[in-house]
Amino acid sequence: MNNAALLPIAPEVILLAGALIVILLLVLLDRPYREGGIVAMAALAAAAVASVLQWQALGDGADNLYFSAQGVPVPRLPMVVMDHYSAFAGVVIFVVSMLGLAVAWRLVLTLGARSAEFLTLVLLAVAGLHMMTASANMIMLFIGLETASIALYVLAGFTRERANADEAAVKYFLLGSLASVVFVYGAALLFAATGSTAFYGAGSMREFLAENIVAEPAILLLAMGLVIVGMSFKVTAAPFHQWAPDVYQGAPSGIVGLMAAGVKIAGFAALGRILFSALPSQIDDWAPALAIIAGASMIIGTVLAAVQDDVKRILAYSGVAHAGYILMAFVAGNEGIGSMWFYVTTYALTVIGVFAVVAVVSGSRSGSSPLAEWSGLSSRAPVLAWVMLIMLLALAGIPFTTGFVAKVTVFTAATDAGYLWLMILALVTTIVGLYVYFRLAAVMFLEGPAGVEEVVVPPTTALVLAVAAVTTVLLGLLPWPLLDLAREALPL
Amino acid sequence: MIVTPGWYMALAAVLFSIGGAGVLVRRNALVMFMSIELMLNSVNLTFVAAGTGLGLIEGQVAALFVIVVAAAEVTIGLAILVAVFRGRATANVDELSSLGG
Repeated sequence: MNNAALLPIAPEVILLAGALIVILLLVLLDRPYREGGIVAMAALAAAAVASVLQWQALGDGADNLYFSAQGVPVPRLPMVVMDHYSAFAGVVIFVVSMLGLAVAWRLVLTLGARSAEFLTLVLLAVAGLHMMTASANMIMLFIGLETASIALYVLAGFTRERANADEAAVKYFLLGSLASVVFVYGAALLFAATGSTAFYGAGSMREFLAENIVAEPAILLLAMGLVIVGMSFKVTAAPFHQWAPDVYQGAPSGIVGLMAAGVKIAGFAALGRILFSALPSQIDDWAPALAIIAGASMIIGTVLAAVQDDVKRILAYSGVAHAGYILMAFVAGNEGIGSMWFYVTTYALTVIGVFAVVAVVSGSRSGSSPLAEWSGLSSRAPVLAWVMLIMLLALAGIPFTTGFVAKVTVFTAATDAGYLWLMILALVTTIVGLYVYFRLAAVMFLEGPAGVEEVVVPPTTALVLAVAAVTTVLLGLLPWPLLDLAREALPL
Repeated sequence: MIVTPGWYMALAAVLFSIGGAGVLVRRNALVMFMSIELMLNSVNLTFVAAGTGLGLIEGQVAALFVIVVAAAEVTIGLAILVAVFRGRATANVDELSSLGG
């Protein structure tokens, strides 16, 4: 058994090497801001390639579990898992991060000497995000979660000379670390109840729960509850979403897309890893809890999105509602994984595009993005307004966009699992949600222009917008290639 | 009376609750952060107590990792709080309310 193979952790190694090179460049070269950005981009691309290689190696029958305890015949306490689930997560996270970094390109160039710190933090955060999805152990998952979270706390307040940014950082930090603590207390109680922190291998949680009756079922229930609550914070599911609107509004627009999309992908993937891999025998306990959180998220997210006057807050609450739709896929257990992946992937691409438009309209350093700034965008920047409209249609779930296909797949998954009430609730909130997105579209297309200043779209942002718009429409018309891949991306 | 690991886990649960109450009740960002640290340490106590009760080394290993992560979090957290305090000369979270809608 090639226990010490490098391929399972290749993406993380590449990203950490990239982070170190970016810092070294600052010492070695004069003003290497653009060069640093190129290195960071190359590291993300290489990590994506490594994830594709992982997928191929798995097809050739590579081992799944790595870094286990030595000297035992059966792998015990593996730390890293390489399966189609983690490889798929890797490709999605790294590609979305590349798009997010491209949106932040202008922000990076204006940061000057601090751009190296910025890029390093982005690379570390992305490495942590992928580590969350590729861990075979609760502790490994916690370390990935904290690596990502701590880097993101700093990124949220990075333009600290602006007053709102530090407020966003404090709120994100206090509530984020509270969520982390709740999560890790759940992990500790899971350890107490099952005698393991590992998801796989001899004596793991999964094997223990499959073979034994838990002595203290109350502790196991409490532990699962705490783990789910901790993760719900990270993926902004209601009622644990309160930080999201403030943080999105205060953080620099250039990086919010990456924060919103990246954390959602990794958070849902990590939650799925825990529930599908470690606790599949307890599905009757956790599925109803997730259904309730999903329902609450859809209602709260949709209703509160309708009454906001800031585009970033609208998008934050819309993200809460979408977290609810994605959680619908979880209640179906293993059958829902494909729907979850399709929804998360297409939603992340759309969200990156939407926040790219926000960064253009309101400036990549700025915090708030009041609706007034958007009025009459169609006459000031017609192409931008139409691209935004496509993405809003996808968020609303209109046919011929990815949002429609994604919604249909999760609705079907929930209905097949017997959660008809959740599907009906989701239909209602989808219809109410139309108001949220068409309200913004009406401001862009029907109201008079807010100013005469020209809207300048940086070339990197234009590229991201093109990718986001094309994938949103193309995968909406022809979803089958991605759906097939998503259905293959099952955890071990 | 023999003090079994279960008692330590009960103590940890109490500490976790005190920390949680502190986060919810206190309005000073530093005190809230201290409460979160208290919760983290109750997690450590749970890990070590459970590991001792089960006769497994994993509990202590996990506690070590949590300690390291907590140290990293302290570094970043205090830096953020100092940055806020410089700009506003307050650490009261109720006065951090310019965001909202």
